[in-house]
Amino acid sequence: MLKQALSSRWLWPAVVILGLLLILPPLAPRFYVYTLALIFVTALLTMSLNLVVGYGGLYQFHHGVFYGVGAYTVALMLTKTDLPMWVGFIAGPIMAAFMGLIIGGICVRLTRLYFAMLQISLGSLIWAIVFRWYNFTGGDDGIHGIPKPSILSSLTGSYYFILLVLVACLMVMYLIVRSPFGSTLQAARDNPQRCEAVGVNVRRHQLVAIVIATFFAGVAGVLFVVLERSVFPDLLFWILSLEIFIMCLLGGWFTFTGPMLGAAIMVALRTFVGRYTEYWTLILGGDIDPVDLLPAAGGDGLYPGKVATPGQGSWW
Amino acid sequence: MLQVEAVEKSFGDFKAVDGANLRVGKGEVVAVIGPNGAGKTTLFNLITGQLRPDRGRIIFKGEDISRLPPYQICRKGIARSFQIVDVFPRLTVFENVRVAVLSQQRKSYRLFSPAQSMAVAETKEILESVGLSDKAGEIASSLSHGDQKILEIAIALGGQPELLILDEPTAGMSPEETSATMELIRRLATMRGLTILFCEHDMEVVFSIAQSIMVMHQGRTLIQGKPEEVRRNREVQEAYLGGE
Amino acid sequence: MEVGQGLTLSAVGSQLLVGLSRAMILFIVSAGLSFILGVLRVPNVAHGSLYMIGAFSAYSVVAFFGSSLGFWLALVLAPLVVALISLVAERALFCHLYQREHLMLLLFTFALMLILDDLVKLVWGTEYRSVLAPGIFQGAVSILGSPFPRYNLLLLAAGPLVGIGLWLLVNKTKLGKISRAAAVDREMVGALGINVSWVFAAAFVIGCCLAGLGGALVAPTVSINLGMDHSIIIEAFLIVIIGGLGNMWGALVGSLIFDLTQAFGALLWPQFPIVSPFAAVVIVLLLKPRGLLKSVW
Repeated sequence: MLKQALSSRWLWPAVVILGLLLILPPLAPRFYVYTLALIFVTALLTMSLNLVVGYGGLYQFHHGVFYGVGAYTVALMLTKTDLPMWVGFIAGPIMAAFMGLIIGGICVRLTRLYFAMLQISLGSLIWAIVFRWYNFTGGDDGIHGIPKPSILSSLTGSYYFILLVLVACLMVMYLIVRSPFGSTLQAARDNPQRCEAVGVNVRRHQLVAIVIATFFAGVAGVLFVVLERSVFPDLLFWILSLEIFIMCLLGGWFTFTGPMLGAAIMVALRTFVGRYTEYWTLILGGDIDPVDLLPAAGGDGLYPGKVATPGQGSWW
Repeated sequence: MLQVEAVEKSFGDFKAVDGANLRVGKGEVVAVIGPNGAGKTTLFNLITGQLRPDRGRIIFKGEDISRLPPYQICRKGIARSFQIVDVFPRLTVFENVRVAVLSQQRKSYRLFSPAQSMAVAETKEILESVGLSDKAGEIASSLSHGDQKILEIAIALGGQPELLILDEPTAGMSPEETSATMELIRRLATMRGLTILFCEHDMEVVFSIAQSIMVMHQGRTLIQGKPEEVRRNREVQEAYLGGE
Repeated sequence: MEVGQGLTLSAVGSQLLVGLSRAMILFIVSAGLSFILGVLRVPNVAHGSLYMIGAFSAYSVVAFFGSSLGFWLALVLAPLVVALISLVAERALFCHLYQREHLMLLLFTFALMLILDDLVKLVWGTEYRSVLAPGIFQGAVSILGSPFPRYNLLLLAAGPLVGIGLWLLVNKTKLGKISRAAAVDREMVGALGINVSWVFAAAFVIGCCLAGLGGALVAPTVSINLGMDHSIIIEAFLIVIIGGLGNMWGALVGSLIFDLTQAFGALLWPQFPIVSPFAAVVIVLLLKPRGLLKSVW
């Protein structure tokens, strides 16, 4: 496995990029460091979604809920309890994965579109509860000024921490995708009936994939809190989930690294173009349209020529 | 080994299977024949769990499997190939079979070990026994129709079944491919000690290798017996063989 | 007469009617979304933005023509503006994507939403706007002893009118029948020599028009702001989902359920008013995952 990774042609570019990212903070202005850190968090979130969408073939249309749950859990634990901070950091992903188990367990009985619909409604319910429960969650205002461990108190410290966690998570995700579980999951995505006929409990495999993905979404949520020190209900709102989904599509959901690219592009556009004009979304929209219309951009966003025959291509 | 007793299945008003009976003994090669629409594929779907019978029972090795989902039935030792080719189109031939092998080895939940190195020997062995070794690296959807049907059988073998159910295994094949496939099936039956249940339209094929034949007509079992008995039976001749 | 917890019959009745009138707006918007989903089989994420444009356009028309004339004009012009925008979007970009993977269409409506949101910011700025209803609709009437805003009477009338209009369109006109056929089997319709592309264009424009109309109608009752699209889109989607995809009556049923649970939720559980409709949606979907009424496909 390691040997295979070492001989992969992606190795040297990856090492170079990683090296650049590592030496960046002392050299670049704070703003860039912050933006990169935000990209890392979003990238992790998008990659976690791709585990179920790209590899699992499930229409996880409200993934943001688990991100928000992870963030809120750590926020609440750090502000309302006296437990050590690291406990909060662990609790976030666990809580997110737990919600993933429950919501996933309810939804996985249904297929495709109906899975998506039920998930959107369950997620929206949770958003509504968080949005209104002022006394507990701070409602519309959110929670701010969340304390964090002193090692992470500087932007640079947070940056390295987030990068470290991102790389670790990516490595784990890569392992999972290449494992028997990963190949069974992909087979189930392409032909669930055949899988059942060879003895695979497709539902259960999908549920496991969901729990894993939501765990990582929770990790992303924790990282968000580390970076921003606040949470707000928007994290759980459907529009964010849609944005993450779009990032996956944009970057190419049938590849491993595609979604990260999509995340990077959208965050970068939002931040940099946003400095020059308030109308960054106009530009983003303007960019998506040509990409959409490119003949090569079938189901793979920006990776023309790769696997261009996406799943079954329909909602139902 | 397998008993189907008075099984019925309706889809709305249409009664696809209306009292089907079948007995398959261990090590036998049994064929189900009948005109189109007789309910053969429905019967197979009932046995392997894609459908649930409205009435009647299906018993495998003494256990009632009528209400089990497909993946559990597979685990009990029944594997099947489908009438309409149903492989994993985007995976290679090797990967296609490996999915089945990994599942059978209960390794499909393993998260942290690379799949590359797993189940290689078993998968290779299966591919060799069906004659697809040289095509192992090709994408399944690029194979010829005949080869895809063989791949179907290979995937079914991945589950190390005791009973192999083949739904029209030679449909759409040329005469050479057909006899090659039947040879393969005969070989598999003897070498691996498999019990085989299949359905076919090609009568030559059926009468050459089946030890017991069940005839279906309009969802009902007309008769099950040795080939000569079936050939001589008047009802069967009227309904199906049409004066041969 | 008291009905527990200090609720009076008139208060309940009043809440019911207010809920009903708001449900009419939701119905109009959701019907449009459902129609598009039914014929084009794509969720129009930009629907909320078009609703918002409808509201802002109404504001501009009223600001220009004054409250009385302006309002009625707005009811005509705002949907027209939206129709124009959607037609441009559809012909210029959308129609090239029909052969593609569906998720690309979703991507596209998302891009459209982003563009429209900024267009609104560009044209109208970021301040909250408001529209005054014409004189005859100001003030309240007394129904069941509680005050009921007169404007809401218009809403209560508008909903059924739109509903009937839509029903006539879908069932009695050629366009409607072709749309319904195209929803089920577009290849067949194409094979019959009908230009499916224009059918889709028409369906898209009509659906968006309804969003614009909804926006124009709601304008006097809310403060028009930039977040309008986000809140309406999730509500409209959920309504379409529980009503049955592409089903117009489903949009009506869904809107009623949504808003009535909100109205009652507000009465019984004041701290958590918006939770009840979402909870209701979840319950409906758990019981009937495909929606309450039949979906068009």
